[in-house]
Amino acid sequence: MHAVISAIEYYLPEATVSTGDLSAEFPEWSVEKIDSKTGICERHIAGKDECSSDLAVAAAEKLFSAGVSRREEIDYVLLCTQSPDYFLPTTACLIQDRLGIATAAGALDFNLGCSGYVYGLGLAEGLISTGQAQNVLLLTAETYSKFIHPRDKSVRTIFGDAAAATLLTAVDTAQSFLGPFVYGTDGKGAPNLIVPTGGMRRSRTPETATASEDESGNLRGADNLFMDGAEIFNFTLSAVPKSVEMLLSKAGVGFDQVDLFVFHQANKYMLEHLRKRMKIPVEKFQMSLAHCGNTVSSTLPIALKHASMEGRLPPGALVMLVGFGVGYSWGAMLVRWR
Amino acid sequence: MTRQEFLLAMDRILELPEGTLTGAESLDDLENWNSLAMVEYIALADSNNGTQLSPRQIRDGTSIDDLAKLARID
Repeated sequence: MHAVISAIEYYLPEATVSTGDLSAEFPEWSVEKIDSKTGICERHIAGKDECSSDLAVAAAEKLFSAGVSRREEIDYVLLCTQSPDYFLPTTACLIQDRLGIATAAGALDFNLGCSGYVYGLGLAEGLISTGQAQNVLLLTAETYSKFIHPRDKSVRTIFGDAAAATLLTAVDTAQSFLGPFVYGTDGKGAPNLIVPTGGMRRSRTPETATASEDESGNLRGADNLFMDGAEIFNFTLSAVPKSVEMLLSKAGVGFDQVDLFVFHQANKYMLEHLRKRMKIPVEKFQMSLAHCGNTVSSTLPIALKHASMEGRLPPGALVMLVGFGVGYSWGAMLVRWR
Repeated sequence: MTRQEFLLAMDRILELPEGTLTGAESLDDLENWNSLAMVEYIALADSNNGTQLSPRQIRDGTSIDDLAKLARID
């Protein structure tokens, strides 16, 4: 038995922040400048009372409405999120109940960011190939906007909220459709993309809520998301090309045999630099962030969905997925599209 | 990349008129030397000869000439 991706759907919250809105708030940044650096026209932002579970349930309901699977068939729910509804209980348990998934199903959260989808597919393949599950619902959902200080343009211009639902189904075949995988972790990068408070290490206090201005004029407190863009860019330059090489070598596949490269949709500037450096032709490189921004663990399924709708994924296409970011954590894998 | 080409590239990164920078400028005096410009400078060094620079090294630099040295520009 092996897992195949049977369907992908995603959900974006209703409210949007356009690049024009941001340019009006930060007059020193023109629409053209934000566009050229980020490649993002608008970001969707969760409502005040809208949480990751709400986005994930909406994405999953779209999947069930599409008729590719019935909720009764799901026997495992994997939720990737760093903005869960609660410390406890597990958000995936709340989602199981809200979606009407059988109580005989397994459900768990895992905490990863931009690498999360690759890890989720790895877990799903493991569950299915070992006979532990037949139909895995892999959910990715984030509301990073709730961590972001409204006067921090460094992250407000980039991140958007979203959820994606991917159905993985068991097929009785000797051939694997997902994999091989390569993974990587370097916790030394933790301070470079972090929300310092809110966990057990450091509680939120009135002091941690107080914002101060950084050298670029952005405001944030310790309760907010902090990203050292230069450090993250540097990490990406070091981790991504190596992962791609390692994966190709592990798979015994040539660079030219890959039909489509789908990288975590961090921002246009970074993606373009990686694409040029790795000499990936434009027609083999997916860019799908203009209307949703960097949605963390949902960028890869959203990009896959777009690629599929654009006719870039014919049956049998070989796709490389690469996720990288907070942790640091990264992962790369091949998908044989079915 | 020649030194002249580097200075022109830094003009673009810092949104200065072409031919502004001579190399002696202090980074503290350049209004647009910020985290975004640093990312573009890292990309420039990487594209030029694969030099990977850590932001820590870059933050130790004080002038455009320091950035040229770090990027191994002759």
